[in-house]
Amino acid sequence: MSAKTLIGRVALYALLSAITFLVCFPLVWAFFTSVKPKEEIFRWPPTLWPESWTLENYRALLEGKQAYFQAGAAAASGPPPSAFFLDWFLNSLIVTLGTTAISTIVSTLAAYSLTRFRFPGQRAVPYLALVGYMVPSIIFVFPMFLVMADLRLTDTLFSLILGYVCITLPFCMWLMWAFFRGVPIEIEEAALVDGASRLRVFWEIVLPTAWPGIIAAAIFTLIVSWNDYLFGRVFMNSMENLPLTVGVMHFFDGTHVDWGLMMASSVLMTVPMAVLFMLLQKHLVAGFGAGAVKG
Amino acid sequence: MDVRLEGLSKSFGSNQVLKSLDMTFPERRFVTLLGPSGCGKTTLLRMIAGLEKATEGAIWFGGRRVDHLSPGERNIAMVFQSYALYPTMDVAANIGYGLKVRGMAKPDRAEKVGIVAKVLEIGHLLARKPKALSGGQRQRVALGRAMVRKPDIFLMDEPLSNLDAKLRATMRGELRRFHLDLQTTSIYVTHDQLEAMTMSDLVAVMDAGVVQQFGTPEEVYDRPANLFVAGFIGSPPMNFAEVELETTGGRPVLRLAGTALPAPDHFDLAGVPPRLVLGIRPQDVSVTNPDAAGAVPGTVWMTELIGSERLIEVEIAPKLRFTAEVKSSVRCALNSRAALRLDPARIHLFDAATGRSLARQDSLPG
Repeated sequence: MSAKTLIGRVALYALLSAITFLVCFPLVWAFFTSVKPKEEIFRWPPTLWPESWTLENYRALLEGKQAYFQAGAAAASGPPPSAFFLDWFLNSLIVTLGTTAISTIVSTLAAYSLTRFRFPGQRAVPYLALVGYMVPSIIFVFPMFLVMADLRLTDTLFSLILGYVCITLPFCMWLMWAFFRGVPIEIEEAALVDGASRLRVFWEIVLPTAWPGIIAAAIFTLIVSWNDYLFGRVFMNSMENLPLTVGVMHFFDGTHVDWGLMMASSVLMTVPMAVLFMLLQKHLVAGFGAGAVKG
Repeated sequence: MDVRLEGLSKSFGSNQVLKSLDMTFPERRFVTLLGPSGCGKTTLLRMIAGLEKATEGAIWFGGRRVDHLSPGERNIAMVFQSYALYPTMDVAANIGYGLKVRGMAKPDRAEKVGIVAKVLEIGHLLARKPKALSGGQRQRVALGRAMVRKPDIFLMDEPLSNLDAKLRATMRGELRRFHLDLQTTSIYVTHDQLEAMTMSDLVAVMDAGVVQQFGTPEEVYDRPANLFVAGFIGSPPMNFAEVELETTGGRPVLRLAGTALPAPDHFDLAGVPPRLVLGIRPQDVSVTNPDAAGAVPGTVWMTELIGSERLIEVEIAPKLRFTAEVKSSVRCALNSRAALRLDPARIHLFDAATGRSLARQDSLPG
């Protein structure tokens, strides 16, 4: 290895390390803060490594409701926000899985029809869909709120699912469209000649071939719907119906912030996505890569 | 099982790609559809497979009309140009998929796949995915998938075009051998005349959606029905020149670049217009000394050595050159004078207006 190459490589690794540090530091900070007692969180100068470890914040989030009712405090001032954490978690889970299921299934079928059947506007639809995705969500959210209000769907999880489907479907369809364009039609014709029905061809030949694209579309939808704040903030108002992202903001009441609960919530919110990424990252890269090249 | 086409037409919008075809592919024969790109040969094959609907006409397999049936109901097998292997399945699953669709039990399927794999010498590849195979191996898997079901008809769409020249030559022989062993009616599409000539029992030469000639390889080569077939078949291509039909001493004479050649008697020249097109293959032209009687004089324009033969291109009139294929030992200096002697028995004559061959009807295939 020449000196020039060595310097180049060292510089590259230094840059990558700096970026990794920038990305990971908040997560590490959040985790250590979540396992510190309250007094240590506010100590000056701050410390990264906890002096004493506690799971008090996690217990408050995961057992808060149970503890509140067991304490018989219901009549006094209502449950604290932490008592709703599991409700919010479940809400986010339902909305995310619902959105992902609808968006992935609809976009897969739509994209397949866009690449395989001939009809007017066939070429324009994928590009128009992409243009739709480029418009910021904030422009959609208020008209959509009015529509939801007319439909009497506000403050329901279904309204959130519908909202997220509107946001994610166009991009997923474009992604799957790019993917299906790369699936040669001959393999479907070969299966037809082999005697398979159209549905069987789609199920046994096309879907397995398009699997990386489907995974990519699903992960994109999961990320968008799990992380969204705007729609949850506008569409929902009952404490027990909030998604996680909006719910955890109740740990901040204008006068003080419960950083311990906030950080513990952040860690618990991050875990499902992190695990999912670790399991599916291979497919994700393949899916986005295929879409990019073949599109 | 024979395949019969009745008035078969196909249009894409206003573009008519097949024009009322009537023909029969005889049972157990290997028939090649040969023609340039866009002549409609692949469309015809896809219509026989059921992958394209006919605009008009009917397709019969034996006594059964099939044009309304789906591809799976026709009991055909097809080998695609790109092989079209299922990328997520291993070789065994690829070959056995048609059997699986037909509900065959797994052990029986495995046995049949094993037999075919052994014949094709791909037994050691059964657990591999298509992406881990070479072009030749993929080709064999595609063939295996077609063979395993024992179809009534084999359809092949330029299956050798993605292989390198050496492998293509090997596979030509193997495909022919498989056909002779299986004796299944086969329809093969190619634009490569060498494939058509070496593998086929019958060749249908197509152009502009019409079958220009349907006959044995010898017939289409030796007795082309028209100018298109004459020019398309043969390498190097046939020499063509306009000639005048004259009568000298009561005998018909062809005037080619000023030289009078006696008109061969295998033509029906009664009542034909005086302007004709003469064609002759380079193999039927020899080079002689410039003053030889009955030879067409000219100037050597180019020579090319092509192995054991040499191509000598002689300019016999301004912008009119004829090629002769001669032994490589024959040498001619560039720009030297030479003359070409045309084998009278091998001369072809065509109507300049219609392109139709003027050879006697009884010498043309029916």
